[in-house]
Amino acid sequence: MHATRLIGLLLLLLIAGCAGVERTPPQSGASPAVAVEPSATRPTEESVAKAESPDAKTSAKVPVEQPGKKPSATPSSGKKETAAPLDLTALETRLKETKAIGVFTKITLKNQVDDLLDQFRAYYQGRAKVSLAELRQPYDRLLLKVLSLLQDGDPELAREIVTSREAIWNILADPAKFATL
Amino acid sequence: MNKRVKALALMVVMTTFFTGPSLAAEDAALLKDMTSVIALLGLPCGQVVSVIKKGDNDHIASCQDGNRYRVFLNAEGRVVAQKQ
Repeated sequence: MHATRLIGLLLLLLIAGCAGVERTPPQSGASPAVAVEPSATRPTEESVAKAESPDAKTSAKVPVEQPGKKPSATPSSGKKETAAPLDLTALETRLKETKAIGVFTKITLKNQVDDLLDQFRAYYQGRAKVSLAELRQPYDRLLLKVLSLLQDGDPELAREIVTSREAIWNILADPAKFATL
Repeated sequence: MNKRVKALALMVVMTTFFTGPSLAAEDAALLKDMTSVIALLGLPCGQVVSVIKKGDNDHIASCQDGNRYRVFLNAEGRVVAQKQ
């Protein structure tokens, strides 16, 4: 008996919910000006309507959002791709924090980064017989190692490292910038 | 008495159920860590299949290809893989 009542109540709620959602598409589709009101006053209704009919809503929302309040919401998601490249300190911090690689691997990588920095130091002090172009090879190799370790466990960091590749090289290749490291 | 036995059995089952996978995950992470270290150091190994802990930061890693390495942190803070 209890179960029947419960099912009945749930069905009633479901029907009531569906009835409320069905009304929204004709309103938004008819005039975009009407759609401004729910977005400004009640964001919850808007989110329900979004889930129901994406095509109708998006076509109606585009003209609404341009003159309205939310022009910053869409460009921010687009800006994520053009994030500022990392510098060496930021890269070091991110590598320390990532869970994609183990402690021993992190220490080994740090050793190899230190070795590379020593090579650059030796080059700038005139102690090394290598050219800057030759130092690019170990740099690229080390970066590839890092990327291969990160690409599965932390693809976001791997992507950021790829974008920062030249920025980091520019720091290493510039004696003035390198001196500040 | 019967209740106690049931409670104890439940505890054992729950402990096995929850700690078993976490230990396995730790082991898998260590194997992966050792594999990465040996590969980074440019040593032949393939994949590390088992690790024996000798001490703090000191392990014996057995590789798929039969090689065995002692992977440890030396006094200078460098990770070293010594062929056994």
